[in-house]
Amino acid sequence: MSEKKDKTSRRGFLRAGLVLAGSVVAGTVLKPFNGVVVAGEEPKGDTPWYGIGIDIEKCIGCGKCAKSCKLENNVPMEPFFFRSWVEQYTIAKDGSVKVESPNGGIDGFKQELPDDQIFKSFFVPKMCNHCSKSPCVQVCPVGATYVSPDGVVLVDEKYCIGCRYCIQACPYGCRYLHPAKQVADKCSLCYHRIKKGIQPACFEMCPTGARVFGNLRDKSGPLVKFLRDHNCLVLKPHLNTGSKLYYNALSGEVR
Amino acid sequence: MPQQIRRLLVAFAVFIALFLVLRYVMIPTSFGEYGHYRGRSLEDNAAKPLQFTGNSSCIKCHKSIVEEKSRGHHAGLACETCHGPALKHVTYADTLPHAKLPDSLLLDKPAERKNCALCHNRNMARIKFRNDTVNISMIKQVDVMKHNLVDKNNESLKCIDCHFPHDPY
Repeated sequence: MSEKKDKTSRRGFLRAGLVLAGSVVAGTVLKPFNGVVVAGEEPKGDTPWYGIGIDIEKCIGCGKCAKSCKLENNVPMEPFFFRSWVEQYTIAKDGSVKVESPNGGIDGFKQELPDDQIFKSFFVPKMCNHCSKSPCVQVCPVGATYVSPDGVVLVDEKYCIGCRYCIQACPYGCRYLHPAKQVADKCSLCYHRIKKGIQPACFEMCPTGARVFGNLRDKSGPLVKFLRDHNCLVLKPHLNTGSKLYYNALSGEVR
Repeated sequence: MPQQIRRLLVAFAVFIALFLVLRYVMIPTSFGEYGHYRGRSLEDNAAKPLQFTGNSSCIKCHKSIVEEKSRGHHAGLACETCHGPALKHVTYADTLPHAKLPDSLLLDKPAERKNCALCHNRNMARIKFRNDTVNISMIKQVDVMKHNLVDKNNESLKCIDCHFPHDPY
């Protein structure tokens, strides 16, 4: 009897040990995936922490944001350098998705599909997401790109060596190599404007007010109000970039 | 201490000293002030020149036009949305009032049909019905290919020949 009891207790011990070890391993593997990692977590401090809201339902695709961005920040006018641009999504009734952005939307859009074949169509303005866990900052080998204390991802033009790692790393395609300066260039959220208390150029020039700029710490401010009143999503939440660009009415087709 | 170790120590000392000197020379003083970057770069980024100035500057000289616009459907638009960046234009006018602006500082007066079409050319993506602060279904949608009138010489008219842009109907 006692012999049998010993045997079961040893088996029980081993089983318990295995279960424990297994759950520890599973816990470490699963840890990065648990919890809601949709958007950035507010850091401690009292500086402003800027974010962006874009209402896709209000965007009419005039491309004024893309144009004003180029004029304000001296972005080359060639159609492959953009800090801010607009994409037109057309979802046909047969389910095919067409994305087009001729010259970033600066010269306007044409709808080639006849109305009766369109399931839905909308414009998506794109720009830097000013991620709080930004992949482009993590890969920079020299510390030439960084998140400023107010949550803006900036490039240090004097320090950048033009290695293009950050251009590869950005999952949203928001960076390019400046052809004349040979340094990485990207949306600075018009840092020179917001530091003077003025809105960034694309926000000020938007004719329909589809863009909302604000301080995420200011709980009574326009951006927090926008986030409260709308169902907002960020792009590619599974990449855990901590994006601070929130879209209202974002369709699943948008990448 | 054996001689070879002593020589090696000297070589090491020289190497470390050289490394420290190079590090001192090459790393900018403000590096690491806020994080792993040059702190002065924040000031560099903040010091870039502005181009757009905002609506409040326009009313100083163009009062009647601003008032006219504020009554019409285009009241919510910034002047610079159509006319382009105006800071240089405004600074010149501020420093030398009553002087004639040089041609290079005159702003765009976009008159071509394509400029109106940016917002008003019929596109399924613009035809949405939603009433919020801006009801974008109110933005008139016109098929600019069909709505294309011609004058006596069979040349197509501009939109602004009939629809006045500051107070359109």
